[in-house]
Amino acid sequence: MPSSEAALEIRTLARDPVPVRVVASGGWTFSGIKERHEQLAHRLAELEKQPAGCVAWDLSGVTELDDAGAVWLAHALRNAQRVEASPRHREILNQVCQGLLVAGERERFDPLSGVVWTGRTAAHVVEHLRDGVILLGQLALDLAGMLRRPREFPLREFSAGIYRAGITALPVTMLVGFLVGIVLTYLSALQLKRYGADLLVINIVGVGVLRELGPMLASIIAAGRSGSAITAQLGVMRVTEEVEALSVMGISVTSRLVLPRVLALAVALPLVAFCTDIAALAGAMLVSRFTLGITPGAFLQALPQAVEVVNFWIGIGKSVAFGFAVAFVACHYGLRVLPNTDSLAVGVTRSVVAAITGVIILDAVFAIMLRNVG
Amino acid sequence: MADEQYVIEIEGLVNTVGAGAILHRDLSLQVRRDEVMSLVGGSGSGKTQLLRVILGLKRPAAGRVRVFGVSWEDPSAKKVRDARRRMGMLFQNGALYSALTVYDNIAFPLRERGGLAEQQIRAIVNTKLAQVELEPRHGRLLPANLSGGMVKRVSLARALALSPDLLILDEPTAGLDPDRSEGFVRLIKRLREDHRFAVVMVTHDLDTLFELTDRVAVLADQHIIACDTLAAVRGLDHKFAQNFFGGDRGRRALQHG
Repeated sequence: MPSSEAALEIRTLARDPVPVRVVASGGWTFSGIKERHEQLAHRLAELEKQPAGCVAWDLSGVTELDDAGAVWLAHALRNAQRVEASPRHREILNQVCQGLLVAGERERFDPLSGVVWTGRTAAHVVEHLRDGVILLGQLALDLAGMLRRPREFPLREFSAGIYRAGITALPVTMLVGFLVGIVLTYLSALQLKRYGADLLVINIVGVGVLRELGPMLASIIAAGRSGSAITAQLGVMRVTEEVEALSVMGISVTSRLVLPRVLALAVALPLVAFCTDIAALAGAMLVSRFTLGITPGAFLQALPQAVEVVNFWIGIGKSVAFGFAVAFVACHYGLRVLPNTDSLAVGVTRSVVAAITGVIILDAVFAIMLRNVG
Repeated sequence: MADEQYVIEIEGLVNTVGAGAILHRDLSLQVRRDEVMSLVGGSGSGKTQLLRVILGLKRPAAGRVRVFGVSWEDPSAKKVRDARRRMGMLFQNGALYSALTVYDNIAFPLRERGGLAEQQIRAIVNTKLAQVELEPRHGRLLPANLSGGMVKRVSLARALALSPDLLILDEPTAGLDPDRSEGFVRLIKRLREDHRFAVVMVTHDLDTLFELTDRVAVLADQHIIACDTLAAVRGLDHKFAQNFFGGDRGRRALQHG
């Protein structure tokens, strides 16, 4: 059995016109080269130093030759005066030589690359905003269309969306709300006790939870749970051309995919926020009972007087807007996913980040607009 | 190196799907080195599942599967890895990495294999591109921008990157126009002249079958009912074989073949 490893033998014949003979034998293949990698590289580097025209190659002892072997040999054979090889091996070597000749691309340094990058980014942002506005407009048109023909409303997707974004999100959001209620009350109680203003804890926690924390917690968790899911789902539908298939059937992508999701989250999020409020207040009551000695009964009695009911409605109203924003951003990013896996990953990440940022910006806007209310 | 007579040996394979429904029972198959074996069978007969077992992607319920004399359950990770590197797979839909360019897709197995400089990898990638009749400039494209035929050729180039001794093709000509299918057949023929590798191919395309195949394995009734030359299989007294080869399409392809 011939040796399966690549071997290289160099003989020097002083009197011959071509003084250096190189005999390659064995299997010049991926596995044949692997073991003797360094040794072969060393020997071939030696041969490179020989002046052109004084090396003759004999490849007739090569039992097997594949691309890996051919690449190694082809480079060294450039300087060869004479090559003995079987026609089949010669063919493989020729093919690889052609491959070696194709120049690699070099990235040239462009002094204006900074300017180009800025311009591209700006154009990208503008395009993003434009697409967002188009989607919003299309959504408004679809909604108006639905109002005229309520039978076409995708009720099934809508109710599925409420279930997924609402009911299944309750355990985690309520747990988070409960814990935040405990922490907030405990920290406030420590401060208020010093001034003997124990009852003020109901004002602070009540307004804080109902107006700010409930909706915020609910929408941040919704952005992480439902927003990412929506982007991933629409993104995969883009990758597998399901979105295109809908358009081809003459079904509006916005009214079938975007509208039910956006409406579902806009309806589900206030409900989730309401439950978060309850959980947070329950946490607050628990801590008040043990640190300040306020019984739950007293807490509940004092709550309506301490916190105007309008604060609750502001919280609920905000969560409608947040739900809309989270689902809208998620759909927008989902529909922009390009048909490759990288773009999908980037899309989902950006969607969640943009949704949370968007919610916080919206919250600030609401805070300024409603500063004199409640 | 490749001294074994058979590249694939399957004996007494039992293969189940889902909740234990039996797909293959007592299935045996041998593929010789240097031959092109076609696997035919009706829809749902489990051709692709059989390929998955051969590829080691699915663990059979019972039976012996050896590829290059190595079982996928061999405790030696090196043996299994070496056997894996000796085969190339062309998936039905290409299975190209969508986030990588054509060039990087083909270079991927070479880079993972190690031991080659980037310049050498480039030479091999360009050789492979040339072999599947693509140009170096196509290397810059992303899979999403390729036509169906180009996806097939790029994934063939990727499957051939490590100069495999066994090439597995799942529906290589599905979705190609007749001209391209013919080109694909010619391509495989030519490549096999340069590098002698065994081919296992699942196909419904009779023209491709008649052009390339040395032996045909017929999968029906949960096992390989026959594995022989085309002429022998054609005369088989079984409903599937009669319909497959004796139908209008079969006879037409035979006349041309």
